[in-house]
Amino acid sequence: MIIDSLGGHILGTVPLGDIVFYINPFHLFMFVVIILFTVLIALSRPETQVEASFGKLEDTKVGVGLSEFKQRRFLAIICGIATAGAMITGDLYNFTLFMSLVGIVNIGIVSAVKQVDVLDAAYQYGLIAMMCSLPLFGGACIVLASTGTLSLIEIAKMTYTTPMMMFGAILLFIGICGETGIAPFFATKAEMFRTPGSPFILIIHLSSLFIMIRAIEILLIIIKVI
Amino acid sequence: MVYIPATVPTTFLNMYLPAFYAALIVAFIGLTGIAIEKRDIQILILTDIVGLAMLMVVAALGTDLAEALVLPGFTVDLAETLAISEILLSREMHKMDKKASFLPLPLVSDMEIMTTAPNFIALILVGYGIWASGFTGGVIAGAGLIFYVFCRKARGLPVNFINGLSGISGVAWCLWLIGFALFFAIPELWLLSLFLAAFGLLLKVAGKMGVIGTLMREEYNRK
Repeated sequence: MIIDSLGGHILGTVPLGDIVFYINPFHLFMFVVIILFTVLIALSRPETQVEASFGKLEDTKVGVGLSEFKQRRFLAIICGIATAGAMITGDLYNFTLFMSLVGIVNIGIVSAVKQVDVLDAAYQYGLIAMMCSLPLFGGACIVLASTGTLSLIEIAKMTYTTPMMMFGAILLFIGICGETGIAPFFATKAEMFRTPGSPFILIIHLSSLFIMIRAIEILLIIIKVI
Repeated sequence: MVYIPATVPTTFLNMYLPAFYAALIVAFIGLTGIAIEKRDIQILILTDIVGLAMLMVVAALGTDLAEALVLPGFTVDLAETLAISEILLSREMHKMDKKASFLPLPLVSDMEIMTTAPNFIALILVGYGIWASGFTGGVIAGAGLIFYVFCRKARGLPVNFINGLSGISGVAWCLWLIGFALFFAIPELWLLSLFLAAFGLLLKVAGKMGVIGTLMREEYNRK
């Protein structure tokens, strides 16, 4: 079975109607790691930066206020939980929804910063994420239309790949690229990190790395190259 | 192969591809507009057209599942629009060195309809909402109530009254849950559970004006 070759031997399934959660070592490892990171982030305090100025003795400390810190911590925890959900879900549409939740929360984490450049980058990233919701959800729906199911374990049982499934997978990939802000769109997202409050900012990066790995597994399940 | 019930007419099946192409054309128009437009707020509004095209692709499936998928898709679209507009607002406020507020109240709304006809319009909307019942009816009735509040007709209401409205919203949600559970537990009482669910949801959605009431209180503090 293709799921076995991708993520290892299936440890068990949770039969909840049509949507069957399946747990294999790969998912379990990713899930536990992201939960651990989320706990670390929930317990940590934000870093403060010192901006040095040349020729003078006027170094300024760039910190994060208490209300801003609380808001960011809350959104970072939500981001971690959404990423964990995307790791373990067995439903294609739920995966895309978790991914767009991560995208929205990423915008929210940087929404209260004071640097205009960072806000500008977040705005551009938000526009890309919103435009890419068309290929993301559209791709998932094309897969649903051509296979008749959204359950990954059912899709993996199929032995064939129609051109429509391939098209849906390509659209899904474009959507994932935009929503997580990888290679072609990375310029805006890299700019978003330039603000104090390190552990909360880092989850922006971490969540997209984790989701990308899971997304590749899902794409391979759909197009069945292996 | 994909299982398609024999009762589905082929006309419906043939409608999938035209709907999909229509969505692609709509998205192309929206993206062309984004490429041409230079002002940020216009780009944000045009991006919503691409979101609508996404909803069209989802709705093109035409099944019950598609209906269930449109709702989260729409919610995500709305949430992203809100988040980006918040970013835009905050950025512009930082450029002007002002403090960004979540909702720029007190509203400056100066329309004739808000002084002449609030009672009538609110009554019509609430009446139609109760008649329609369910989620849709709740939205319509709630719109009527919110219109009444925005017309400054509900100025003298005590804070406890407004908090009570949001409390009713929570209790009505429990009615909806009970009705939903009864559907599965005692299917013979389907009519009762249907009405529990419909009117529970009506009260819940309409009672959400309590949120606006909370904002109203902030408006009092400001003045």
